[in-house]
Amino acid sequence: MRLTLRALISHGRVARRIGLGPESRINMLRNILTGLVRHERIETTRARADEVRFYAEKLIDYAKKGDTNEKSMKMADFWLTEKDLIPKLFQVLAVRFENQTGGYTRMARIPNRENLDRASMAVLEYKGNPFPPLFPVKRVSELNLLNQLLKAYREEKAQMVSEKKDL
Amino acid sequence: MMAACTRRTREIMSLLRISRHFPQNQRLLSTSVPRHAAASDGPPKFTPPSKPVIIDKTQKEASLRRFLSPEFIPPRQRTNPVKFSAERKDMIQRRKVLNIPEFYVGSILAVTMTDVHANKNLNRFVGICIQRSGKGLGATFILRNVVDGQGVEICFELYNPRLRKIEVLKLEKRMDDNLMYLRDALPEYSSFDFDMQPVHYEITGDVAVNPLKVKMKPKPWSKRWERPKFNIMGIRFDLCLTPEMMEHAQKWAEPWRPYDMLKEYDTSSLEEQIFKEVQENLRK
Repeated sequence: MRLTLRALISHGRVARRIGLGPESRINMLRNILTGLVRHERIETTRARADEVRFYAEKLIDYAKKGDTNEKSMKMADFWLTEKDLIPKLFQVLAVRFENQTGGYTRMARIPNRENLDRASMAVLEYKGNPFPPLFPVKRVSELNLLNQLLKAYREEKAQMVSEKKDL
Repeated sequence: MMAACTRRTREIMSLLRISRHFPQNQRLLSTSVPRHAAASDGPPKFTPPSKPVIIDKTQKEASLRRFLSPEFIPPRQRTNPVKFSAERKDMIQRRKVLNIPEFYVGSILAVTMTDVHANKNLNRFVGICIQRSGKGLGATFILRNVVDGQGVEICFELYNPRLRKIEVLKLEKRMDDNLMYLRDALPEYSSFDFDMQPVHYEITGDVAVNPLKVKMKPKPWSKRWERPKFNIMGIRFDLCLTPEMMEHAQKWAEPWRPYDMLKEYDTSSLEEQIFKEVQENLRK
């Protein structure tokens, strides 16, 4: 969860101190997490994104237990300040990550903020969202001449090996 | 006079009861078999009757209460897990020698300990367990009692080699996991007789929770027990604090705390694993 080694050796302190105190921290994270569930991709400062990331993943873990589970319903009710998102969490996000254990979010660093305080910024998103991908997709150039030659070479070599085995 | 009369009638009744059962006893104690043996060769050899083994077949092993002592569960920290597994081995070795029974905070225990200064080198202390703390080999528990009007607390180390015997006189839980507030409660709640007889308890089902609420001495206390962080159920706050004071204590409540997933420490799978390990090694 931590980014730097200095933060890793934290002597049991796993939470960053952000906001005006523990309550303010939780409320801030709640608001960001609600935004993340609504828009599926958000832009915040890097520390906040990193802090929210843990809660975003845990919330999905709870949502996977189903909306009949009392504790997961309570968690969803607490963390989503806009209550119209509760059905979305249980019926869209939980279903999307059904076959996945952990790693539901993706975080990417973006250039520092220009206008206010030059804060380091990041993008946080739930995987499988309908937006264009954050990172450029690797182009598949199977029909390239070089790739075709390499493919033929590999096939030939495999054939030779199998023939040798038969002898 | 009346009491003596009733006692006598009771004695007579019991005599009658014995006499009524007598013919049956006679039949059971018939001596025909040994006499037959005597006829064959010499005096009859005394064979002690086999000890009765009481096996309650209604209780299967599955129905027994699963109890893992809390010091087996490692705390949530970055310490190398090897440390805890090595200590667990030593703990199991010690448990093979000394019977450390199942007990909880709120149970009444009697602990016998080697003490050079005591008579016969043994010292026995009876008291209520008010706290269990520490993990691994250094686990401790605190017993509290009132001796000659003076509150006494002794912190015993569970795996101390000087410890000879731990007896559970009464197995029960209280509504709280920590009874440190008994220091500020009236002494009657922590006074226990040293000659107390052990109370029978079941080895199946859940442990009884004693819903006792204690009365406190007037303030000041060692801690502000009404504060929500202690979350104490076993104190009669209505006798010592006004509703305004109770409301004021809620200023320190942290209602978001149960929802903070970062603070969660789910030990269920760890507990299962360690329980299996401990059971296997204890049987060896």
